[in-house]
Amino acid sequence: MVLELRNAKKTFGEGNTLVEAMKETNFLVERGELVAVIGPSGSGKSTFLTVAGGLQSPSEGQVIINGKELSQLNEKQRSKVRLQEIGFILQASNLVPFLTVDEQLELLNKVKKDNMSKDEQRKLYEDLGITKLHKNYPSDLSGGERQRVAIAKALFSKPSILLADEPTASLDSDRAFEVMELLRNETKSNQTATIVVTHDVRLIKYVDKVYKMTDGVLKLESTAEKDLGLTE
Amino acid sequence: MFLAWSEIKKNKLRFLLITSILLLVSFLVFFLSGLANGLASMNREAIDTWNVDAVLLTEESDKSLYESALNKEVADELDAKETAVVSQMGAIANNGDTKQNVMLFGIDREEFIKPEVSEGDPTFYVQNGVVASDVLKDEGFKIGDTLELSSSDTELTIVGFTEKARFNASPILYMKLNDMQKIKFGDAYTMNKDVVNAVVVKDKDWDTLSLPDNTEIIETETFIENLPGYTEQNLTLTYMIYFLFVISAAIVAIFLYVLTVQKISMFGLMKAQGISSAYLARSVVAQTFILALIGVVLAFGLTLLAGSFLPNAVPIMFDIPTMILYGLILIVVAILGAVISVWTIIRIDPLEAIGG
Repeated sequence: MVLELRNAKKTFGEGNTLVEAMKETNFLVERGELVAVIGPSGSGKSTFLTVAGGLQSPSEGQVIINGKELSQLNEKQRSKVRLQEIGFILQASNLVPFLTVDEQLELLNKVKKDNMSKDEQRKLYEDLGITKLHKNYPSDLSGGERQRVAIAKALFSKPSILLADEPTASLDSDRAFEVMELLRNETKSNQTATIVVTHDVRLIKYVDKVYKMTDGVLKLESTAEKDLGLTE
Repeated sequence: MFLAWSEIKKNKLRFLLITSILLLVSFLVFFLSGLANGLASMNREAIDTWNVDAVLLTEESDKSLYESALNKEVADELDAKETAVVSQMGAIANNGDTKQNVMLFGIDREEFIKPEVSEGDPTFYVQNGVVASDVLKDEGFKIGDTLELSSSDTELTIVGFTEKARFNASPILYMKLNDMQKIKFGDAYTMNKDVVNAVVVKDKDWDTLSLPDNTEIIETETFIENLPGYTEQNLTLTYMIYFLFVISAAIVAIFLYVLTVQKISMFGLMKAQGISSAYLARSVVAQTFILALIGVVLAFGLTLLAGSFLPNAVPIMFDIPTMILYGLILIVVAILGAVISVWTIIRIDPLEAIGG
């Protein structure tokens, strides 16, 4: 078990203004597993992702990452868990605009030990097809290239959990499929637990499990694409 | 430092602007400090050269050399280690070509305040001969010049020049006390020949000396501070420098705050990834330090370079330790200016950055 939500619930406001953004949720993802959380905008996907990623605490219940219960930790400790255990791939490119591709990863070396070795980094570049881009700044890259660099950045610190929020939102279909293929490969080869939050149901053919979020309720929908009636 | 320097390298123009502003403010601070130092020196360099501990004046003089009148015998009454009498008067000296405001100082032959002659007759103590401040050379005065005085028919002859001989912003003409007294008192010379303005004292224990009636002894620094206009001039320039420190802190604070606000979303994303606020805050402080250091060092060099091209008429004198101190203060206030940005970074919620 890598990431587990036990009876986790997130509410905002109180009394008449109380909003249950994420109703009581139980969720589990293992190493080497690629999971999609799908649902329309406003269904609570982002709330789920930020709770699972330790960016906000659940109002009730527990979030457990590699045996550590996040609600027991203060912000500084949660920040450390994020740095050590979680790789984020975000809809908006999470690249630092004034750092080259190499420097994006070098920055992680400055704040955390036990990242990939030079050889592993070279292999990662090759896998992601960004070897020739290593001296480029984000502004020199296309949307697809930026997303691949973001994936490299997320994987470089050898996280046990990869959280991807709409990682293909800014990409055309071909690029979107390419990115999902990469995420699947990296999940399997690095034994990462990967959660992809998306509203694009075409991407679920790459995942092992599909959860659907509707009005704050998270349900396991299927483990196979055809079960969702998305293929003929 | 890595993040700070990387951003500076990538956004050279943006950071060149803030460094230029810091450079100009630093240049102004250094220049004003040089000017303050130069102007102060014009007032006090002769006293500093004498290296005395205290000055004896009459009580009624209110610490003013010009208003004090003592019998020179009080120097002997003081049981000090070393004393020297000083008689002083202001005059306009005319060498035929140039008129110059000067200060005549009459001193005794063997006094320790006797000037070191840098050019001319080292014995200088000749009838109506004067050793002049070497700044007069720049005004066209030279050895052998006959000087007419505005207040006397007596003519003086320049027999030598000496360095660092200005008092209260006027160049000094050192001469024999007796000659000086004749010029000063004219027909009343016989009656006043022993009347001098002050006795300067070289004795660390000057404050324990028993004083003659109606006299007071003051520390040399107090004596200088009471020179007409000296303190007012220094305070004015010092306040200008202090105000420039505040301005430089404000400039850095505003500039860095604007930059930080532009990067809130980026900092938020970095915090979401687990990069600590402390690391990001250190980066902003390091960036400020780099920019301030570059600005201050360049300004330091530029000030010295500019100073070397200034005409001698500009009373500027750079004191390197003071400049280094002001440079350090500028760097520190610039870093203080970064505090608002650091506070902003600490308060960034990573959740907002990723739209949670």
